[in-house]
Amino acid sequence: MSSSDQNPAATPASGGPAEPAPPGRPTTVSSQVLDVGAQLVQALKPVRQMKQHACSFALYAYDLHRQMEVHHFVSRLNQDVLQCAVYDSDKPSARLIGTRRRRLFSAAPARRAVTKITVVMMAGVEYIVSDTIFEGLPPDEQRLWHSHAYEVKAGLWTDVGVPESLQSSEMASLAKTYSKFWCTWQVDRGDALPLGAPALMVSPHAAEPGRARGELVRGRDERYRIDSSAGGLKAARVEMDEPEWINPNADYWRLHRKGFAVDVVQAEMKRHAPFP
Amino acid sequence: MASSDGKPLPTPASAGAAGGTAPPGQPTTVASKVLDMGAAAMQSLRPVKQVKQHVCTLALYAHDPKRQVETHHYVSRLNQDFLQCAVYDSDRADARLIGVEYIVSRKIFESLPAEEQRLWHSHAHEIKSGLWTSPHVPTPLEKAELDHLATTFGKFWCTWQVDRGDRLPLGAPALMVSPQADPAATVRPDLVRKRDDRYGFSTEELRAARFDVEAPAEEHPGKADYWLRHRKGFAVDVVPHEMKRHAPFP
Repeated sequence: MSSSDQNPAATPASGGPAEPAPPGRPTTVSSQVLDVGAQLVQALKPVRQMKQHACSFALYAYDLHRQMEVHHFVSRLNQDVLQCAVYDSDKPSARLIGTRRRRLFSAAPARRAVTKITVVMMAGVEYIVSDTIFEGLPPDEQRLWHSHAYEVKAGLWTDVGVPESLQSSEMASLAKTYSKFWCTWQVDRGDALPLGAPALMVSPHAAEPGRARGELVRGRDERYRIDSSAGGLKAARVEMDEPEWINPNADYWRLHRKGFAVDVVQAEMKRHAPFP
Repeated sequence: MASSDGKPLPTPASAGAAGGTAPPGQPTTVASKVLDMGAAAMQSLRPVKQVKQHVCTLALYAHDPKRQVETHHYVSRLNQDFLQCAVYDSDRADARLIGVEYIVSRKIFESLPAEEQRLWHSHAHEIKSGLWTSPHVPTPLEKAELDHLATTFGKFWCTWQVDRGDRLPLGAPALMVSPQADPAATVRPDLVRKRDDRYGFSTEELRAARFDVEAPAEEHPGKADYWLRHRKGFAVDVVPHEMKRHAPFP
């Protein structure tokens, strides 16, 4: 089983575009009561550290034509290391949950119930490090990481709803960073459940085949009132410092024209010596 | 490069470097904090708000179940049959995000193809044995939830192997599995004790209190907990692949 597998065989889990959210019953009252109760007594500190919402685009490392809009919820571990829980959007979506007839043999047409899903799906994890930290990684490790300079300067990566004046220094720092992004739920192929192995993702670049598709970007820009065009963010960020040098071990596919795919393989269990 | 690789070469990112276990790097600057505060005021940050519960439990590496970690799951409910968890290595503000776990009801699990099921683990033992805990949540409040969770299945990818001292997330993601009654899947007592001491509860007592949580008749249906039956773990390999070619538009 590989992250580069084609669409998994049709099952309730491999839905089409009409069924993006996971199958399942609506949340019961008793579960909601627990959730409210838990929140009152638990501090939830790690998640409260997610203070920034950034939106961008990611491509599958082995198939650059598969592209996703991604929403990063960023926590800072220190000035050089960030960690992001990545979601497929920042807004919940309505979903069809089935058909109902008024009476069993009624001639009345079936009525479809629409329920509002109030959560967004977690699609993966991304780690971001400064160039200093990246240089300290072994070359084998560096090959799994990607650079951000183009993505930021092109206005593809941006904090959502934050004025450019407030975020520009953060964006300037980000332009010099590198990331490693594992996608654990391939929502772009319509999976209603997280199937298969994690997929390594890479960042968009200026030239094909790594360019973010125009209609994806335009759709995102319209929904979030972002202007990433040549007159918008691109112009605003034209003065932004480019990194003097991007480590050639990053963005592996650009030099080698090969993408990393993730395989799950059976392994002999490690044997441990018995305690003396 | 595989999740089952031995310790990575010594670098500032792997264990043993000066500076302990925290990730290397400068302390967060004031400017960054100001941005974070400003952003938080302007952004809805819905995924933060949708996390409603903290669960502390223990997990094992699928390719080496003797390697075990205490995990902190921050749980969001998508619907009654599906939970997703951002998994951290502690419950503190400086916790490291170490992976993702998805949890589904039995009905959903049984709808998965066999090859997919092999990546999932059962939860009945973990719940009944008192290993899965919701710190500070009163027992009566969590009872109904535990009954349900004991019938669920999880898929857990660990993206940062902190237990081997990695100061940064290195290598491929690792598949994780759940503690089981089998001796090969038993959690080390010292890990349990450490956890209990910190929270001031007793896993033994929780186990006794959960006597009435129903264990499903078939604890390992389909291909769940595959490694238990076959004594082979799953390791994750990352390999360079020919890029997919796409025909040009006509």
